[in-house]
Amino acid sequence: MGKGTIRQIVRRLGQRPDHLDAPANAEGAVSEAARRNRGSLQLRHVDAGSCNGCELEIASCFSPTYDAERFGIRLEASPRHADGLLVTGPVTHNMADPLRKTYEAVPKPAVVVSVGDCARDCGVFRGAYGVAGSVADMVPVDVEIPGCPPEPEAIIAALQNLSGR
Amino acid sequence: MVATALFGLAAAAVGAIAPPRARVRLSVALTLAACACGFAVAADVLAKGGAAAVHTNQLLPLLGLSLRLDRLGALFVAVSAGVGLCAIVFRLGYKGHGLSSRTGSCVLPLFVTTLLLVPAASAVGTFMFLWELMAVTSLVLVLADHRARDEVNRAGQWYAVMTQFGAAVLLLALVLLAQRAGSQSFAVIAAHGPHLAPWVRSTAFVLAVVGFASKAGAVPLHVWLPRAHPEAPGPVSALMSTAMVNLGIYGIIRVGDTLLGGGPAWWWLLVMGVGGLSALFGALHSSTSTDLKRLLAYSTTDNVGLILLGVGASGLFAATGHRPLALVALVASLLHLVFHAVFKGSLFLSASSLQQATGLRNLDQLGGLIKRLPLSAPVFIVAGLAICALPPLCGFVSEWLLLQSLLHGLPSGDTAIEVAMPLGVAVLALTGGLTAATFVKAIGIGLLGQARSDDAARASEVPATMWGGAGLLALLCVVFGVAPGLVLPAVVDAARSGLGYGTAHPIAQGWSVGLTGVRGMLAPGLLALGLVVAVLLVAGVRQLAQRGAVRRTEAWGCGREVQTARMQYTATSFAEPLTRVFDDVLDPTHDLDVSHSAESRYYVESAAFHTTTHDAFETRGYRPLATTLAWWGRQARRVPNGSVHRYLAFGLAALVVVLVLVG
Repeated sequence: MGKGTIRQIVRRLGQRPDHLDAPANAEGAVSEAARRNRGSLQLRHVDAGSCNGCELEIASCFSPTYDAERFGIRLEASPRHADGLLVTGPVTHNMADPLRKTYEAVPKPAVVVSVGDCARDCGVFRGAYGVAGSVADMVPVDVEIPGCPPEPEAIIAALQNLSGR
Repeated sequence: MVATALFGLAAAAVGAIAPPRARVRLSVALTLAACACGFAVAADVLAKGGAAAVHTNQLLPLLGLSLRLDRLGALFVAVSAGVGLCAIVFRLGYKGHGLSSRTGSCVLPLFVTTLLLVPAASAVGTFMFLWELMAVTSLVLVLADHRARDEVNRAGQWYAVMTQFGAAVLLLALVLLAQRAGSQSFAVIAAHGPHLAPWVRSTAFVLAVVGFASKAGAVPLHVWLPRAHPEAPGPVSALMSTAMVNLGIYGIIRVGDTLLGGGPAWWWLLVMGVGGLSALFGALHSSTSTDLKRLLAYSTTDNVGLILLGVGASGLFAATGHRPLALVALVASLLHLVFHAVFKGSLFLSASSLQQATGLRNLDQLGGLIKRLPLSAPVFIVAGLAICALPPLCGFVSEWLLLQSLLHGLPSGDTAIEVAMPLGVAVLALTGGLTAATFVKAIGIGLLGQARSDDAARASEVPATMWGGAGLLALLCVVFGVAPGLVLPAVVDAARSGLGYGTAHPIAQGWSVGLTGVRGMLAPGLLALGLVVAVLLVAGVRQLAQRGAVRRTEAWGCGREVQTARMQYTATSFAEPLTRVFDDVLDPTHDLDVSHSAESRYYVESAAFHTTTHDAFETRGYRPLATTLAWWGRQARRVPNGSVHRYLAFGLAALVVVLVLVG
């Protein structure tokens, strides 16, 4: 058993094993986005109420270790310059409108990637008093990345499908 | 000319005695007639040459009244009459500001008449009489609104002191010349002027420059201008900022070139220095002002500086024997003077329209006016683009000519010229950039975007006479910009009459502007055509290249739920980098008041931020001077302490002194 395998096992300790089904239109939307983006994917990240676990993983995606920018994937400061959104966390009441506004501000067609179990179905926060719903309840979601939090490899693999590189 | 004076006086009389309802219309009609007569005389003199002269011994006791209009004066009369016509038409719709009162209706026609007559004065007595009448009438008009606001009174005080100081210095200069030449007639002084002792000539010239520069609003005698021009009623501020400051330039050309017949290089380096300093200082302050009319007033100082730069360059060229260049430089600066009157008149009038529509002058409270004032706002934009010297508008032609005349002085071999001209070009370039920033701010913050206050949101279009008066001048900006040949011959004639030499057609052939004696060619008409074609091409390509429909959404505000108009860029924030870069000159003070919540200092209840810039000449020059004078005044008051004995002693002492001196 190598050192890397042990690290992977440790990393997976807190993760929910069950994998949810991908959204119905996912295949078509993803291949369409890959064709459109031609190897370059600019994303605006929206924290809709996350515990920051997913943020840590996203941050490490762009660290020298994983270096997602190799695949044409970049985080963008303004939604006006973005091809889509990268949303984390269950959507809280306070972030529901800002999330919709951010989606409005992205030039269409836009892709929405929900990262983590909370973004997909509110995760452990489901039914909590501050939570308005999942990301898909607010804006149309194209790609969901399961995990609590998802590993950088999973995030990069999903985004690679969108960037087409 | 007599008709001008008579119509003017009749208008003033009607304004003073007619019943309130007829007062304004009658006096306006008569003032318009005076302006029309003035324009007709000036146009006649400019077209046919020669001079219109009137002389009478009766009107002024001891001095007589002598008027003689030559081509140099005629150009200034024509400009004053043109701006006067538009300002008087504008005044019909203008409300409030005490202009419709008996005093206002009486004094405004008098002011306009003196503006028309000063350039025609041909003797020292007549000149000073009309000059003082102009100063006093404009002072009364500045004070028209003195009951409503306290700033008006302070502006009036500044203006009164500065204008009387200028007039006193001027009187010294002219009396010195008249006494040495043996006559007060300008013709006699001009005949003797070049042969007077050098110290007389230099003293008279320097005094005259100081006196006229105070009227023209040149640094460091400009401090009254950014106070008085904004507080004066709209039409008056337009007249003051164009026709009246022009007369300061007129005086310098008249005394320096005509009466004294030119002079040594250092005179003109002084004029260039004053001009360059005024241009930079004015441009810098106007780029950081947030009060719309104060911004325009500082921009007047800026443009007066550019004109003086040209006048100084012309004198310098003449002093070093480059006569064709001297003529070109003088033509360029006179052309800029004419065009400045056109665009600044339009800017001041339309700024007054904005003020009447909203009740506001502070750019930080305006915004979105282009939707609510669909006629006044475009007028302001056209004039604003003209002042930025953008083709195809008139400011471009005159600044191009000015730049050409400065650049062509370079390979002259004369040290003074080779040092002064690059500096002049640098000043022109820097002020050009600052002016562009200023008017991007004025137009972008004031007219575009969304209303920053309720008053700005409630604004509605002003009466037709108001946007019409300002619009006429804006139209002239376009016409003169495309076809400068319409005014160039007249300006060349005026410059030749000022210098007393020069070929008849050094400039202007048909649609293009060329210079003889120096290389350089400009075809504003073709340039305008090219611009139109380029704009159409770009628009066409954009139309073709556009994919899909345009989707309009809210401005991106980082997802904030409520976005208010106050979150827009403001004039203060736009100017902040400039304020920071030039903080030595602008001397800004910042005030941040934060009040915390009673429960916790971590919560901010309210925050207020104030920033003001200071006029360095005022804070470091005039304020200490005024304080010192006031201290001396207080000390002097101790001398007459009410004791009769002391007064008797003073009387005795005075008697002894007189006896000693006389004996």
